[in-house]
Amino acid sequence: MTLSIFELIGFGPHGWGLPLLTAASITLAAAVSGFALGSLLGVIGAALKLSRSRILRAAGTFYTTVFRGIPEILIVYLFYFGGSVAFTKVMNMSGFPGFFSLPAFAIGVLAVGIVSGAYQTEAYRAGFLRLDRGQIEAGLSCGMSDFLLLRRIIAPQALRFALPALGNVWQSVLKETALLSVIGLTELLRQSITAAGSTREPLLFYGVAAAMFFIIGRLTGSLLSRTEKRLARPWSR
Amino acid sequence: MSVAVNESSARATAIATQGLRKSYGEIEVLKGIDFTAREGEVVSILGASGSGKSTFLRCLNLLELPSAGSLDVFGERVKLKKGASDAHIADRKQVDRLRTQVAMVFQNFCLWSHMTVLENLMEAPVHVQGRKKAEVRDEALSILERVGLTHRADAYPAQLSGGQQQRAAIARALVMKPRVLLFDEPTSALDPELVGEVLKVMRDLATEGRTMLIVTHEMAFARDVSNRILFLDQGRIEAQGQPQQLFAGGVNERFDQFVRRFNESAAH
Amino acid sequence: MMDWNFLTDVFQQLLTGLPLTLQLSAMALAVGFALSILVAAAAGSSFRLFRWIGNAHIELFRGTPLLVQIFLIYYGLGQIPGLRQSFLWPFLREPYWCAVLALALNTSAYTAEIIRGALQAVPLGEIEAGRSCGMSGLLLRRRVVWPIAVRQGLAVYGSEVILMLKATSLASIITLTEVTGIAYKLISSSYRVMEVFAVTGALYLTLTFLISLAFSVIESRLNKHLAYRRN
Repeated sequence: MTLSIFELIGFGPHGWGLPLLTAASITLAAAVSGFALGSLLGVIGAALKLSRSRILRAAGTFYTTVFRGIPEILIVYLFYFGGSVAFTKVMNMSGFPGFFSLPAFAIGVLAVGIVSGAYQTEAYRAGFLRLDRGQIEAGLSCGMSDFLLLRRIIAPQALRFALPALGNVWQSVLKETALLSVIGLTELLRQSITAAGSTREPLLFYGVAAAMFFIIGRLTGSLLSRTEKRLARPWSR
Repeated sequence: MSVAVNESSARATAIATQGLRKSYGEIEVLKGIDFTAREGEVVSILGASGSGKSTFLRCLNLLELPSAGSLDVFGERVKLKKGASDAHIADRKQVDRLRTQVAMVFQNFCLWSHMTVLENLMEAPVHVQGRKKAEVRDEALSILERVGLTHRADAYPAQLSGGQQQRAAIARALVMKPRVLLFDEPTSALDPELVGEVLKVMRDLATEGRTMLIVTHEMAFARDVSNRILFLDQGRIEAQGQPQQLFAGGVNERFDQFVRRFNESAAH
Repeated sequence: MMDWNFLTDVFQQLLTGLPLTLQLSAMALAVGFALSILVAAAAGSSFRLFRWIGNAHIELFRGTPLLVQIFLIYYGLGQIPGLRQSFLWPFLREPYWCAVLALALNTSAYTAEIIRGALQAVPLGEIEAGRSCGMSGLLLRRRVVWPIAVRQGLAVYGSEVILMLKATSLASIITLTEVTGIAYKLISSSYRVMEVFAVTGALYLTLTFLISLAFSVIESRLNKHLAYRRN
């Protein structure tokens, strides 16, 4: 039977609407988790690159160079196959024969997180460097400890300065989750591949996937830019 | 006419340095400064660019670390340990504690740009000195009234003029209830028409008997408001004394030259 | 302790994919750049329709994942009624040309934005200086605006070139055996993941480094006039 477009993407018995929306929520979850991991790694990376120790600086540079210079799909393969191989070895040695693969979601978040961390490192580093030295001196001359300085003066300003760059990183992370389709995670692209294969309507379903990625990107983007504007109020004349 | 407090009531030592030296690599900026400031004194520190006056002031609250020499604040020796080129702070807690009693006003105001004026004033008293928010708030608002900025309490620094920012910075220093106020060229970054409002605030502070160390180029202010002038030249104290005596001339050749050159350039 | 034989073997096999990686990048960048000029011109046009088309192109190709774009073109275009009979079909059913098309369209959107940013960054004063000498139109653009814009946009475009190089790795998903495609085969057959990854990664990093170096050299050549700035 031939179904109309609306029936295909709708929520009826033959409609792919629900699976697609569910998959989109997986996309969002993976993106948010990956970005969060990236934030943690980014702060550490920035601290490394700003450190006075040459060894630590080199470590930070190694991290950003490697994970910004190697294609993301390779890094996904590294974690997926590498992780599975390692996990299988452990299980085999513990007496469980066979092949074991790690959950795609966790692997995906790890891969996306470590890459986004490299880009976030640069964002936080640039944000920190924009800080006026006088702000720190004013804090020191009031008797602020280094921890208090960091918490009350440095972090609030550096984060605000880093926001525009972080917004760009977010958009990249969101689109990168599409790569996780190759390791079997049922995110938006994977689901639309299944739908396209089953209904032989690739144009429709890849088009819908593109549209959904676009909409999610726009919605989150406008949310971020509104937050950005609100936080930048102190500097608007 | 001098508005400073008379000598007899200025007894206890506020800040004292002995043999203070500071080098940047090969260049020695401070070549052994022996200096004592007593409570209640208003000392103006004058000198040409490169004479080391700002560096000296910044050593007093350890924003600059001396290469040699000692520093005593309110009779307490600041613990420093020797390093390769400069000394290092040996006891950070001691320095933080002393810094709460020695407030600095910067040339570029350095108000925290992500906070409102009121938040700037309340920040250190609440988070460093641990005072109660309500009490600090009242104190801050009354000081803002003193400096004429009540109406800008909720403004951000970027929205204020230079003179307003500096008055707010002075207010921020005052809320800490410091025993000494350090001023590092407080009016040098201001447009000429805004200088007066800041000098007025400083004059009032001097009248009420505050201990103030001021690095400045404002000759008239230095002459009228301080009860001691410190003249630095090439990293050494070249001349020291009462303003009336020094400015009358004939006490120190280099100082007279300095004042002459200053008046010439001001006249143009 | 390291198995140099295996590593060398991996490297040699990867090298067989290098020509394809470089070809895809070069073609995509060339076609994409030409296209980006059209897109940028449209987006900055005074005709509302052109502006809309230009901006829509930029928004769509920057706002959706490259992999989805590749799938749309490779699997989706075949569905369009007239296309299979047209003269384009011999090209569009080949993974190679689909990849080039997808990559080119993608980079054209990003590059159009770079062009827009670079043109905006040309200091107004230098344009006005040209105008006051009597320059206008094409002469003003050719002698003043475009040379300055190129220098402004060069660094960012260098990043885009590197991104394109990395993007060619996605062509492996539609069966092309460029470097990543070969790496995938090696990983899934030997399961010596770390070693294959290390060699492949090193190869890509070398390429990235060479591209950065090239752009640094071009930048310093073009900016020779800034070398004598007094600080």
